Amino acid sequence: MLSRSNLDRAGFLLFLILAILPMAASLAYAAGYSVGLVGLLSEGFTWQYWARPFQEGNQIFASFVFSLLVAGAATAITLAIALLLVLAARRSLDNGLLAHLSTIPLALPGTVLAFLVLQWFSGSGIAARIAYALGLLQTPAQFPGIVHDQYGVGIIIAQVIVGVPFFALLFAQLWHNQRIRQLMELAQTIGAGRRQRVAWVAIPLLLHGAFPTVILHLVAVIGVYEVPLLLGAQSPQMISVLTMQKYGMFDLQQKPEAFICAILYTLLSLSLIAVAWRRMKHEQSPR
Amino acid sequence: MILTVQDICKRFGQQTVLQGVTLSVAERRTLSILGRSGCGKTTLLKIIAGLVKPDSGAVRLHGTEIGQQLPEARNVVYLYQEPLLFPHLTVLENVAFGLRVRRASASEIASRTGRMLEHLGMESHAKKFPHQLSGGQKQRVAFGRAIIITPNVLLLDEPFSSLDPETRATMQQLFKQLAQEYGIASLFVTHDLKEAILMGDSIGYMADGTLTTFANRQEFINHPDYGATKEMEFWSSLRQQTTTEEYAASV
Repeated sequence: MLSRSNLDRAGFLLFLILAILPMAASLAYAAGYSVGLVGLLSEGFTWQYWARPFQEGNQIFASFVFSLLVAGAATAITLAIALLLVLAARRSLDNGLLAHLSTIPLALPGTVLAFLVLQWFSGSGIAARIAYALGLLQTPAQFPGIVHDQYGVGIIIAQVIVGVPFFALLFAQLWHNQRIRQLMELAQTIGAGRRQRVAWVAIPLLLHGAFPTVILHLVAVIGVYEVPLLLGAQSPQMISVLTMQKYGMFDLQQKPEAFICAILYTLLSLSLIAVAWRRMKHEQSPR
Repeated sequence: MILTVQDICKRFGQQTVLQGVTLSVAERRTLSILGRSGCGKTTLLKIIAGLVKPDSGAVRLHGTEIGQQLPEARNVVYLYQEPLLFPHLTVLENVAFGLRVRRASASEIASRTGRMLEHLGMESHAKKFPHQLSGGQKQRVAFGRAIIITPNVLLLDEPFSSLDPETRATMQQLFKQLAQEYGIASLFVTHDLKEAILMGDSIGYMADGTLTTFANRQEFINHPDYGATKEMEFWSSLRQQTTTEEYAASV
């Protein structure tokens, strides 16, 4: 029989073989491709492909900025709505109807979610028809283009729909785990009014507790694929869509740029995860 | 009297938790309430703090009925059993919380908080977060945060129950010293007989939702029903026995 330490070692080895090694090999291949060491275009080491993202008019830089802004906006709106929900309807989130309803959007695949947003918010969608029926628009076509738009509003709406229930449930859980009710009562007897209790105790504690998850959510939204593919504009594109587009192009000159996108996205994700990890480590630091 | 509680009754469903509880606390004095777990001590404290509404009865501060006042307007601080600190704030920020709430100026906050940390012996820990402190240190900070706003009454719900005996003794001394220095009236709830006698200027005994109060320690100690005399007899007989054994061994 295997001892505990041998089991630990075997588990670690399995993780290394199945998760880390393939990822590291892919990254090494991508890095080699991006500097001309491997691939069909390989003509020896060169930095020429890496210079491209920084040239004027290149899509990669714009795409990164766009992805960060969309992910930041979607995450901020998601957190704001989830906080409002947990402050206003915590009991229902604990074990009421809201707790059950919240799981429905979580179960939706990205493609279905994008399709729903398209149905509701496209120029001839349900929202446009309702607005027209209510007399708010003269023709349904007057409905503002919030799908396939250059600001990524459609993508943000889709991400908010799936993000809000997730964070609302997480916040409801944190409310109990972090003993926020008791801390709010304590703050109240110390003299804090309702607004002060919410602003100085509840919100900071919920955001504090959810910080690593918020970072992971941000990373996930930056890299989300199906939703921007179906709801995004031709330009600017989210980084995942741009990467796949460059990877699948007939023009093989574009392929190294796809690998550069993948490397830059990986570095960005790892940096954000490192921030979350550092924070968690700080909180576990000994006396 | 700074605090007067008159004929408080409270039921939760079919269960009567408090029935006709009456007590009073004089300025700068501590009333210890001794009682077993579940006898209604915590509910009584929460009613005084305004966190739980009584079914009947009155709570008065300086003779004014405060039943309708919100907890934040009472200036009556309730301290939980465990030292509950705001985990996202440093020691300094925790202590300063009540002053910030009252919109005190930055210089006043700095000077009063600095002085309080000095009293607590926590100056070198000012920038630490609660998870970096020991149980005793957390309790010090919790005291400091409560006392810095000089509350009308401080309500302590078995504050030392989770501490080891040595830290507990230190904290008892520190609390007495701080309460005297800042002139705080307090209600100290405990299930420990020795602690009740040690901390209280007067003592109450709570059982099944009713409270019996004693004007002074001696009256409580002399009463045959509450075990103080038996406890003292036990310790003195143990001492006598040990002394006899030691003497026999030496002979």
